[in-house]
Amino acid sequence: MDSLVARYSRPAAFQNETLSDDQYDDFQNDVSPSLSLKFAMPPVAQLTMSSYLHQPSAWLRAATDDRSNPNCPIKIAHGTTTLAFRFKDGIIVATDSRATAGNWIASQTVKKVIEINNCLLGTMAGGAADCQYWLAWLGMQCRLHELRHKRRISVAAASKILANLVYQYKGMGLSMGTMCAGVTPEEGPALYYIDSDGTRLAGNLFCVGSGQTFAYGVLDAEYRYDLSEEEALELGRRSILAATHRDAYSGGYINLYHVKEDGWVKHGFNDTNPIFWKTKLEKGEFTNVTSSLE
Amino acid sequence: MAMFSQNPVLNGPNYSFAEVPQHAVDGLREHRFNPYTDNGGSTLAIAGADFAIIAGDTRLTAGYSINTRYAPKVFKIGGSTSSQDDANILLSVVGFAADGEALKERLDAVCKMYRYRHGKPMSVSACAKRLSTILYQKRFFPYYVHAILGGLDEDGTGAVYSYDPVGSYEREQCRAGGAAASLIMPFLDNQVNFKNQYIPGSGVGHELQERERVPLPRNEVEVLVKDAFDSAVERHIEVGDGLQMMIITKDGIEERLLPLKKD
Amino acid sequence: MDHRPQAWGRPRDDVYGAYDASYMQTNQPNQHTQSPIVTGTSVLGMKFKDGVVIAADNLASYGSLARFTDVKRLRTFAESSVVGFGGDVSDMQYLDRHLTELAIDEAYTSTTTTPNAQPTLNARNLHKYLSKLLYHRRSKFDPLWNSLLVAGLDEAGAPFLAAADLLGTTFTSPSLATGFGSMLAQPIMRGLVPDEASVAQVTREQAINCVRECMKVLFYRDARSLDSYSLAVVTKDGVELSENEKLENQSWAFADRIKGYGTQTV
Repeated sequence: MDSLVARYSRPAAFQNETLSDDQYDDFQNDVSPSLSLKFAMPPVAQLTMSSYLHQPSAWLRAATDDRSNPNCPIKIAHGTTTLAFRFKDGIIVATDSRATAGNWIASQTVKKVIEINNCLLGTMAGGAADCQYWLAWLGMQCRLHELRHKRRISVAAASKILANLVYQYKGMGLSMGTMCAGVTPEEGPALYYIDSDGTRLAGNLFCVGSGQTFAYGVLDAEYRYDLSEEEALELGRRSILAATHRDAYSGGYINLYHVKEDGWVKHGFNDTNPIFWKTKLEKGEFTNVTSSLE
Repeated sequence: MAMFSQNPVLNGPNYSFAEVPQHAVDGLREHRFNPYTDNGGSTLAIAGADFAIIAGDTRLTAGYSINTRYAPKVFKIGGSTSSQDDANILLSVVGFAADGEALKERLDAVCKMYRYRHGKPMSVSACAKRLSTILYQKRFFPYYVHAILGGLDEDGTGAVYSYDPVGSYEREQCRAGGAAASLIMPFLDNQVNFKNQYIPGSGVGHELQERERVPLPRNEVEVLVKDAFDSAVERHIEVGDGLQMMIITKDGIEERLLPLKKD
Repeated sequence: MDHRPQAWGRPRDDVYGAYDASYMQTNQPNQHTQSPIVTGTSVLGMKFKDGVVIAADNLASYGSLARFTDVKRLRTFAESSVVGFGGDVSDMQYLDRHLTELAIDEAYTSTTTTPNAQPTLNARNLHKYLSKLLYHRRSKFDPLWNSLLVAGLDEAGAPFLAAADLLGTTFTSPSLATGFGSMLAQPIMRGLVPDEASVAQVTREQAINCVRECMKVLFYRDARSLDSYSLAVVTKDGVELSENEKLENQSWAFADRIKGYGTQTV
């Protein structure tokens, strides 16, 4: 009876026609909303009888897939070359820094190596927001693990948390290809590849992104596990350089990191252009490009 | 898993270079309502050593029609009252105006709640992160906006943060957004970040020295912003009418309104 | 996720189905499942120094049929504001009921709790309320298929005129017109009030005459319009609404100069 009275005594003006649930949270509960798992969904019906099992994702794709429809309204930043490989002294992580939305270069200064904490690194390929958000979320989970268990999380565990998470969102339109790199006393240098399909692979060497093939070409040819630190850094740099040279969706700056057991070390965020000319003129590579000024 | 269910003999190892089909099969569809539209306009933000400027034109379009000649795109965020006199953050939104308005009101409410609970205004870096999560909360039904946030960081240096529609963000020296972004951004690369500028006589060919990057003074930046918009108005139909410029310094936020061509 | 370099990171067709562009088509009414059936055409509004004039004709069309010729599309709110509706008539009637309830509720609460408070929502509040409602419904993919103008006075007693549409887009201007009016009438009205500053120079008579002239121009060229219309003037003294105006002094002299439409060749 009370509910009936409540229903009919507060008519249309109070049917909550103007405020959605997620916004209610902003006012009532601003302590925990960040990095939460609550997402607003497009109110597209999920038809169970038809072949359209993924209606919300089909809708999302229609709005955001810039490759299938160059005129789609929302263009999400894409396009990348990232690589990471293990060697005797740790892990080298290297990326380019270009973000593209269709043919438009949205940024040349993207930080595609994401510092999850002072020991773990993640890389960004695919949707920039997906990687930023979920790696920040992973950082939170890693810190919670440390607080609960009073020791650092293993790279295997951290990467599995992320893989399990993205697997829950499979088919909904996330796009990320990321690598988790860290060195722990138990595991030694550990490197995992995780993508938005839910794939999680351990390995010595990965290249991810639209320029992956070009990077693999250089990296596979020169890679050895017993590279010196100097050689390893140069190989990482040279592989990204090859990719920026041949993949239009990669370019900008080379971001280089070395992960060791007591944390990672940054080895610069350097413009590709001078590095390219240095490589060409001093080492005699890239002979396909002319350097004569005449 | 669909990924492995293709016939490898016919398609090769999932590596077909065939173009994507352009048309989906017809079937049951419940909704054909497009919740988005583009209201045009353009925004621009530049950070200096002790200030940040965010500017936007004031035209609001629907297709080829001009809905109004004065619809501001730059807002003060996080003041303690609706007059926003003591606001310390600027937000510009361009794209779909209704989404922009909703986003602005949401961020403003969050900043006001923060001020109310903590007794101090939100820092720009905290607000920048919060805006990113607000955008990402709608990852599957995005706000169709290009947002730019501006303010002064903890050291008093100008800060500009730019966002994509789903919340990836980056702190930058300058950023142009919206319809004329592709016209303004190359100009800014050259004039703010001195891209492709070299010191004359410093060498020949590859020996040329790049011009050193220094933050620009405020009066120069204001002229730069006006020039950028005047040029954009010449070449883009969705930009014009008025230029709204907000300048944030340690003394507060100053607003300037300048005319642009109205054709 | 696609791993081929040329489409790296994009959705795969075999996982997500082929790309379906139909979601992103522009809103052309009769392609939609939820689409307006009985519709009203333009609404015009214009500020003058003491208030706002707003007008809309009395026609509700059913496709190309002039179905109902006495539908009033201007609605007063709390004797201090006027809302003009274009677009779907059933959605207009829903909003009308909603506003009636809102007005009753407002009148009830605001007079009992705070004796000296302003009696109810002013035009700016009302516009904000309606645009939030429209935006909320578009976010549910269940839009109210209207474009509306809100005319009245703001909290400072200055003339207020603003528009909101089915997507929740809002804007304000010294003169506003929805639908066909945005192309046919808005240029005429902008001639009188090009900017906010010029509003102070415009008298009530000038504004009314201009809006009447615009209604006539719309009747000449908008095939979904009618010669009987409603006109309201909002000032600080309240709303004067007249629902049975007729277009006067029509001149169809231009008609015989029209050539080249349909089968007509000479």
